[in-house]
Amino acid sequence: MLLTPEVLTLSILNVLFVIFATIAFVLSVKIYLNWDMNSTNQKQYQLEKYSFLNAIVIKYIFFIKIPLFLFFIFTLDKISNILTGAMCSAGVIDATEYGTYLIVLKILNLYLFAYWLKLHQQDKKDEKQLYTKLKFGIYIALYLFFMVEIALEGIMFYSIDINKLVSCCSSIYSSSSTSAISTIFSLNTKILLSIFYGNFFLIIIFYFFKNRYLFALSNIIFIVTALITLIAFFGTYIYELPSHHCPLCFLKSEYNYIGYLIYLLLFIGTFYGLSVALLKKSRKNYKISLIFNSLYVILLSLIIIVYYIKNGVLL
Amino acid sequence: MSSKINIYLVEYAINSLLRQKHKTFFITIILTILIFLLSSVFLITNSIKHELNATLKSLPEIIVQKSKAGRHYDIDIDMADNLLNITGVKSAIPRVWGYYYFYNSKTNFSIVGIDEYEEQYKDTLEKIATTLDFSKDSMLIGKGVNRIMSKNYYKEYFNFIKPDGSIKKMEISGVFSADTELESNDMIVMSINNAREIFDMPSAHATDIVVKIPNVDEIATIAQKIKQQYPDTKVITKDDLKISYQNIFNYKSGLFLALFIISLFTFFIIIYDKLSGLSSEEKREVGVLKAIGWRVEDVLKAKFYEGFIVSFFAYLLGLLLSFAFVYIFQAPLLKNIFIGYSELKPSFELPFVFDIQTLALIFFLSVPIYIAATIIPSWRSATLEADEVIR
Repeated sequence: MLLTPEVLTLSILNVLFVIFATIAFVLSVKIYLNWDMNSTNQKQYQLEKYSFLNAIVIKYIFFIKIPLFLFFIFTLDKISNILTGAMCSAGVIDATEYGTYLIVLKILNLYLFAYWLKLHQQDKKDEKQLYTKLKFGIYIALYLFFMVEIALEGIMFYSIDINKLVSCCSSIYSSSSTSAISTIFSLNTKILLSIFYGNFFLIIIFYFFKNRYLFALSNIIFIVTALITLIAFFGTYIYELPSHHCPLCFLKSEYNYIGYLIYLLLFIGTFYGLSVALLKKSRKNYKISLIFNSLYVILLSLIIIVYYIKNGVLL
Repeated sequence: MSSKINIYLVEYAINSLLRQKHKTFFITIILTILIFLLSSVFLITNSIKHELNATLKSLPEIIVQKSKAGRHYDIDIDMADNLLNITGVKSAIPRVWGYYYFYNSKTNFSIVGIDEYEEQYKDTLEKIATTLDFSKDSMLIGKGVNRIMSKNYYKEYFNFIKPDGSIKKMEISGVFSADTELESNDMIVMSINNAREIFDMPSAHATDIVVKIPNVDEIATIAQKIKQQYPDTKVITKDDLKISYQNIFNYKSGLFLALFIISLFTFFIIIYDKLSGLSSEEKREVGVLKAIGWRVEDVLKAKFYEGFIVSFFAYLLGLLLSFAFVYIFQAPLLKNIFIGYSELKPSFELPFVFDIQTLALIFFLSVPIYIAATIIPSWRSATLEADEVIR
């Protein structure tokens, strides 16, 4: 069990989140069941008041969650100093069986919360508040996801054994290991790269066609291809080391925290891409998505180019 | 993601804060004090950790101790030669050191014996070895030791009482200041034979053996080999020390944080209470705002800005104060919690360490919690019905 100041801080905030999210959950259920825009009785007015509270609580949780996610990764990095064998957060995530699920769930929840906020924004613009019932219905599901995440986080920190030897990221992400990840490395880099750039090209084409579903679909695929190529190819250029494939080490200060920029660009770009399909399509969302996705591609390509200029060879 | 920051609302929020001077002042002061305390503790631990890690770097890779019935015993010198046979070991040096209890001031001096011709296991000792006169019964002492000895009128020499009751007179030939005062303050360096005499240790024995290994990757394997060859030894690697240091400090600051949670919770309730009790004037204000066309969101936003401005201001102020307190004034009182009370307490300077993570930690413990406390009260005031309040 771990009780470093960082873990304590995360726990305190989690407790706070649970309290507020539960309040919002109870109110959401009420609103979802009884919402009637045409009614003029006392109950409906009260529900409308509650909807404001709900919205602000969810907004609060989301806006704290974003920096807190970075802090969470930071914390994992720090814990990796205590665990034997761990060099970066990958080792800590791998230390328990819950780590991987937790990270996936955390990222998923970020997307879901962001989607909720977008929906909320649309709802506020609409004078009939068409989405109100929908958005609180979605929040009910979101609440369950969120609670699972917090529970998992608690369990993970509770079950980390300081004395147990954990794997280092270079062994988890090595081509010789027999995990699912290692199958990535058996793929041809040329094919991978052409898929990655081809995918990006598709996004540009769909941008001009303004087909919302195809645009969103290509964005979903882009998340996958971007992550795979990041692990298999681009990461090695950040480390300037052909054998190191860890997608978490470049979050450390040794690499100027470049990972935070990379993941942020990818998150914003793909999120806006998805929101095109899930919400009303707007020119702005298309544009933001395209700009951030392009920045992501440009940044990674630049790393390769700079490496090539400096060293004259490719890895 | 949400709409842009509205400058007019920010202006309104600031003015509103200034209108309620006393309330704002009170909350800001308390929050600042809390943040100040918390960040001071973290800054001090960071500095001490930094200092210790610097010391750790100069330590040998492996220390081999003999243990019997769970207690530390003197080790055979012959073992050092055998350890040298293990591949990867650069040197194995037996050390003679220990504590000498000085009854008059109730303190422990650490006595370190060094050999004139042997390689020293620490760079600082290397320098000292060249200045120490091995032909005479003389010793070099740390600053703290010097202070205590001269207080007890031992200005030129010191009488050690040996285990058999006889007296060993040692001349003080100088005072040294090593790079890190934390380790050298209570140290006495003398020749290895004199140290053996004071401790009454046979010449074939030593306190422990330090093993130097140039290749970091081999440490774990060599430690295992030593353990297999000599099951009666305790093998301590540098990493073990590092982890236990980190655990100690995590524990100490964690304990403090646990106490801090209580005060944080109290503070949460105070804020909640303070903001819930709206005066009729404030109610009127919200009523007027809504009557002239403010939406609920606008009022909420203005309230949020108020909360953020207060907490962020308090955060910055508290941080600034604690930086000044810790690094300029060297954290009086608070520092003692971490280095303990002792006559030989090292009076070291806290080195300046700037760690973004600590700043983030303190941020998450203050600003979001304050804002959380304001959510429900501000929602309450924002959803007041205009006609009811103004009436």
